[in-house]
Order: sequence, then C-alpha cells, then structure tokens
Amino acid sequence: MKRILLGTLLAAASLNAMAQAPGGPDCGWGNLLFEGQRGTPAHFLASTTNGTSGNATFGMTSGTNGCSTNSALTYGGKSWFAMNGMMDELSKDMAMGQGEALTTYAVVLGVAPEDRAHFAAVTHEHYQQIFNKADATAEDVHTNTIDVLKNDPALAKYATQA
Amino acid sequence: MLKRLAWLALSVCAPLYAAPHVDNSRLQQLADSRFWISIGHYESGKLGGWRSYVDDPKFFLAVNGAHDPKAELAATLEAIYRPVVQGKEDLHPQCVYPSRTRFLRDELKLTDLPAVDCKEFNKWFSDVAPDSTVLIFPAAYLNSPSSMFGHTLLRIDQADVQTNKTALLSYAINFGAYIEGSDNSILYAWKGLMGGYPGLFALVPYQEKLSEYRSLENRDLWEYRLNLTPEETRRMVEHVWELKQIRFGYFFFDENCSYRLLELLQVARPSLNLTPQFRLTAIPTDTVRAVQDAGLVEKIDYRPSKERELLSRAEPLSHDEKQWVLKVSADQQQLQSPEYLAVPKERRALIQDAAYRLERYRANGEERDAARSQRSYDLLRAISTNPPPALEIERPGLPEDGHESRTWQLGAGTRDDKAFAEYGLRMAYHDLNDNAYGFPLGAQIEILQLKLRQYENNKWQVQRLDLATIRSLTPRNELLQPWSWQVAGGLERVLGKHGDENLVSHVNGGAGGTWKLGDDVLGFALGTVRVEHNNDFDALVSPAAGFDTGVLWRNSLGNLSLETKGDYFTNGEVRRNISLNQQWELSRNLGLRLSAQREFSQLSSPVNEVMLELKWYHY
Repeated sequence: MKRILLGTLLAAASLNAMAQAPGGPDCGWGNLLFEGQRGTPAHFLASTTNGTSGNATFGMTSGTNGCSTNSALTYGGKSWFAMNGMMDELSKDMAMGQGEALTTYAVVLGVAPEDRAHFAAVTHEHYQQIFNKADATAEDVHTNTIDVLKNDPALAKYATQA
Repeated sequence: MLKRLAWLALSVCAPLYAAPHVDNSRLQQLADSRFWISIGHYESGKLGGWRSYVDDPKFFLAVNGAHDPKAELAATLEAIYRPVVQGKEDLHPQCVYPSRTRFLRDELKLTDLPAVDCKEFNKWFSDVAPDSTVLIFPAAYLNSPSSMFGHTLLRIDQADVQTNKTALLSYAINFGAYIEGSDNSILYAWKGLMGGYPGLFALVPYQEKLSEYRSLENRDLWEYRLNLTPEETRRMVEHVWELKQIRFGYFFFDENCSYRLLELLQVARPSLNLTPQFRLTAIPTDTVRAVQDAGLVEKIDYRPSKERELLSRAEPLSHDEKQWVLKVSADQQQLQSPEYLAVPKERRALIQDAAYRLERYRANGEERDAARSQRSYDLLRAISTNPPPALEIERPGLPEDGHESRTWQLGAGTRDDKAFAEYGLRMAYHDLNDNAYGFPLGAQIEILQLKLRQYENNKWQVQRLDLATIRSLTPRNELLQPWSWQVAGGLERVLGKHGDENLVSHVNGGAGGTWKLGDDVLGFALGTVRVEHNNDFDALVSPAAGFDTGVLWRNSLGNLSLETKGDYFTNGEVRRNISLNQQWELSRNLGLRLSAQREFSQLSSPVNEVMLELKWYHY
C-alpha cells in the first residue's frame, strides 16, 4: 500500500519539485537499518498484474527518496543515495566482510578497484563502529564510514573526496 | 534528390513551420518500415489496417494516429519543426519524441531541424547512461504456483556494471498494470485479468525490484545478459522515454509485461521478429525461450531467493544445530551461554548466519519492529566477529529449458470392461507429474483443460473441463512451516448410480502440510472442502468435507504420485478414490503417463480405471 501511495505521489509531482536537500521534509534520506518492507502477501493477486503496484515512476528521484541529486553527495558519478535502499544488505555484507552491496558501497564512495579488497577488510573489522546501533540511519553509517576511512592510511584519501 | 525536393517544398509551403514536403510514396515507405511500426506499437488489425496497442490519445499527434501510421508520421514530421518556445523546450515534440525525431532525421536527412535543448530528457538519459541490457526473469515460487507465469523486466546497465559489479545501481524497465486508489483485492485480480487497468512503463532502481522478488516474494531471479550493443540499448531507452506516463491496455494473458518487452527488443534491434508468435498468450518463460532462440543471450546469472539462501545455509546443520538456530534467533543471550560456546567455532558461524537469515525472513512484509531489529543487529555483531564462508548455491535447471506450456494429450484405457480413447488439451501449464526439469517438485498450476472421451460404439462425452487447478505442496521443516494448499474448479465426471459417470460442476479446496520424507520424496496430507452440483442429488448444491493425502516421488523415470482422497457429503454420499500416476519422461516435450485408479461410492460398486496417456508439450 505504501508503495502504491509513493508511486502515485511521485507520478503526480514533477521531477524537480520533489528534489530536496538531505534532511528536508520530503527527503527520505536516513532510512533506518532494518526499515522493513510492507507488501501484499497475496501472491495470486500480485501476479495477475505481474507484480507491480502501479509504480509509474520514471527514474531520477525514484532512487533517491525524493532528495536532490544535485548536491555534492555524489561520488564517482553515482549518487550514494542509492545506498539508502541497500542498508540491510550492506549491514549483512559488511558483517560478513564480502558481498555485492559492500562492493557497490566501495564503488559509490569512489574507492579504486585495487583498494576494494582492503576497503572490505577494514569496514568489516570496524563493523560495530560503522553500524553502531540497531537503529542507525544511512546518514550515521556514512559518517561513521568516513571516520573509519580517515584513520586508515590507504583509504584516507577516499574520506576527503566530495 | 530527396533533399532537393524537400528544399523545394520548403519554399512553397513556408508558412507551415518549415516542415519539408516529402512525397507520398516515401512517406508511405517510412510509415511501413518495421521501426516506425514498432515505436508506434502498431499491430495489423484483424480486418486489415492498423491498430496501436497504445491506449492513450496523448501519445498520438494525428487525430487518427492510433490507426494510421502514415498520418502519424506526417504529423510528427510537421511537429518536430514547430518553433521552440523559450522556457518550454521540454514540451517540444523533439524532446517528447526523441526516438521518432532521430528516425526521421536520419531517414530524411533533415539538416534544418530547429535546435532544441531537451534538458529533462538529456538529464534523464545521462542519469540512466544506457550501455547494455539484461533480461530479468523472476522464477516461480513454490508456495505461489500462480507465480509460475512469472514476470519479465529489463535491466539497463551502465558501461562499468560488469567490471565494477554494480548491478545494484542499475535501473530496471518494468511494465505493469497501474493501480490507482485501493481496490479490494478480488476486484483487483479480476480487473487485472480482464484489462480493467491501464499498463504503464516505469523505470525503477533494480535494487528495489530485487528486494521485491527475492525477499518479499521469495522468488529466484534469472538474469540473461543480452548481446544488444550500446547503440541498440540506447535506441531502446530513448524510445522508453516516449512511453513515459503513456497508457497501454493491460491483459494478464497476452498484452502483458513480456509482450511489451519483446516489442522493446524489436525497437532495439529492428531485424528481430519476436512478437508474432505470441498473439494469443505470452507466458514469460516462453518469451525467455524466444529471446534465447533468437540468439540474444550472452550470459546467464542466477540470484537465489532469500528463502533458498536460508534453507541452503541450514542444510548442512544437524538437528541439534538447527535447534540452536531457533534458540539464538529468539534470544541472543544464548550466544554467550557455555553450551553454545562449546559448539565448534566454524559451526557457530553457520548457526548464527542461519539465525540471522531466519530473523530477516520472518520480518518479511512486516513494519519495522524495534525488538526484532535489535535481535537482527545483535546477530550481525556476532557474525562480524566470526564470519561464515560465502554461501555457494548450486544453480537449478534453467526455467526456459523446462517443458513448453500448452499440452496436447492422447490416451487409451479401460474403465472396468469398457475401452476408451481420451483426447485432451490444456492451455497451461504444469501438474505434479509432468516433466519435472526446471519446475519445483510439488507445484501445480493448470488453466483451462478440456478432456473428451470416446467409448466403444463411438460414444463421446466431455470427461472434464478444468477452469483452474492449483496445488502448492511446500515441505515444512524445523525452521519454516509453510502451509500447503490447493484449489480447483470446473466440470468433472464422478461415480453415480449404477456405475454411471455423472458430469458434475464443482469447486473445492484444501489446506494442510507437506513433509520431506527423503531426498526426492514428499508426503502430504490436506483437509478438504467441496461444493458440487450433481443431478443425482436432490439439493442444487451439496457440500462435502474430506481429505487428500499421498506421496510424490521424483524417480529416474519421472514423477510418481500415489494419492488417496475422500469426500464425505452432508447428504450421506461418501466418495473415495485411490490413484497411482507414473510419468515417463521421453524427452523435454514428450511424456508418457500411466494412471491407475479405483473409485468408491455409496451409489455404486467400485470401478477400476487404467489409462496410458501420451503428453505432448507444445508451444
């Protein structure tokens, strides 16, 4: 239901009107860890329409929860707002020390290919510092990651990049 | 020559926005070209002429554009020459129809088009940065047999996706019904089937779709990397922009996601001819097959569902270790208990991981819950200090290599002492005994099956007409306890007075459990209810309650089922049946089935029936 609503909202509003700075009233930046996902468990019903709940968004703001993509929060050409929807995956990957979401996080932070294994090892080692509580927000996680990177000689250069 | 003509035309009819005059035969030729037909989503009408699948007047520039590709082309040619209005560039036809514009510019060598800065489109296009295309197929989920029909979508990758492994950042093009407001769910299903909702394209982060299918619906995902070139991919995405907020008709069986995506692929590569074979029904697996057959697939990747990951992680665990999974997922204090710490460290790594996955599985579809989040987080902390090895999951059979969807059936048998021949057609799709490759054991969905029987002396009768038969036998285990269920409805022959076969109409359903008895053996037991209209009974409809139980064994010949069921009617009739079915898989699309059954009724003495049936899975 939430998704349907969101879809309608996004479809109704123009692309630019939705875009807000992080922390703005409509900018969903700061998803909590384990935000969860509501959905209809009625499989038959969902599959008659091929599993879509009428989400007629068209890219751009849809990956960014309504936040502005024009701000400086873009690394290597990719907005790391995209990580917002991957918090659960990222927390699991980082706890395990490997995984697709963790690789994606490295790419989004601009970490060069040769440093990614080291990035995975360091963030894994500092898992409990980066994900420091059960209700950490994406923003907390980002801030804590930067702090960890700053203290690593090989990765410090990625902490200042903006 | 053409250009000269165009210039000539320009000077003659200058007052119209300087659109060039193109002679009629050239216009006709362009309007007939595959590319123009594709981007207008035209199909040739049943009585000649054209009709567009687009069900939205704002898509067309000519009044009769939905039926006249040439008029639409002429109108487009004129429109892209419209003067540019300052501040409203994005509304200019060149920006609204980038694909049409490129086509006309290239074909007619239009060098004098007004220059328009399409800000919105350019920003969008550079944000998506299309480079390659992946066809995504979420496979069937056992406990949701209707998902056997599946869904397909396209993922658009940027140039670095393969080197950087950042598919999670890609966008997906999804076509689906657009549901406004909050219809009640039955209406929703019905309208979805009947075309009551418009279909719309959407561009959504792939990662959102992944969590929808892998977590919420527990479906495995297949990713078919297509060999479309960057240019072809860009051409397709450019056209998708023209479909923004454009309404199509949406019908579950044919004008669905899969059909629309095949059309898009034809826009990408106009030499492809994928859609004509799907005029009647487009089942996603079949469309995947068509794409395979067209030689488009370069590489296949597999992403297991969250449920499969959980079960695979738990598989090597002993009974005691699984009990630990349940214990530590419920209470993280246990992680520090001496008994738990006595378990070897590598085994604890697996237990904690399984416990975490179980917690997340249970959180599926729920709102965030602070206590559960804390539990998940505590488990993750434990995992971070003792990480398990990466999960390796063996890739199951490719869904498109399973048998085809429609089935022709030819059988011969005897019922007591009468011989008969039986002819059957099933529109879709799979039953418990059918050729098993690519299908999960214990899932059945059949739509529209008709069987005719011919007894000796050329006596014909309708044996059964099934509207739908759905069975979902998902095994329960220590960690997950799904329900098994079934529903069916239609016409069928039952044992009546004096051994007659009465054609009755019925609806029935059941629920219960399934257990894994061996590696390839399932046992199931369900309680059932039934309502029936039977001319032998006084009442118009007669209710019954009963049972349905049996075993299903995947053996080297094919699937075997041994099943017994009973219906106890409130009017005193008791009907029971025991049956044995063994499939012999001859080839991918051919099977032979031996069925034997004995029927019991209060109205008649028992009757035996044996039949050998050839099944040809075709189309």
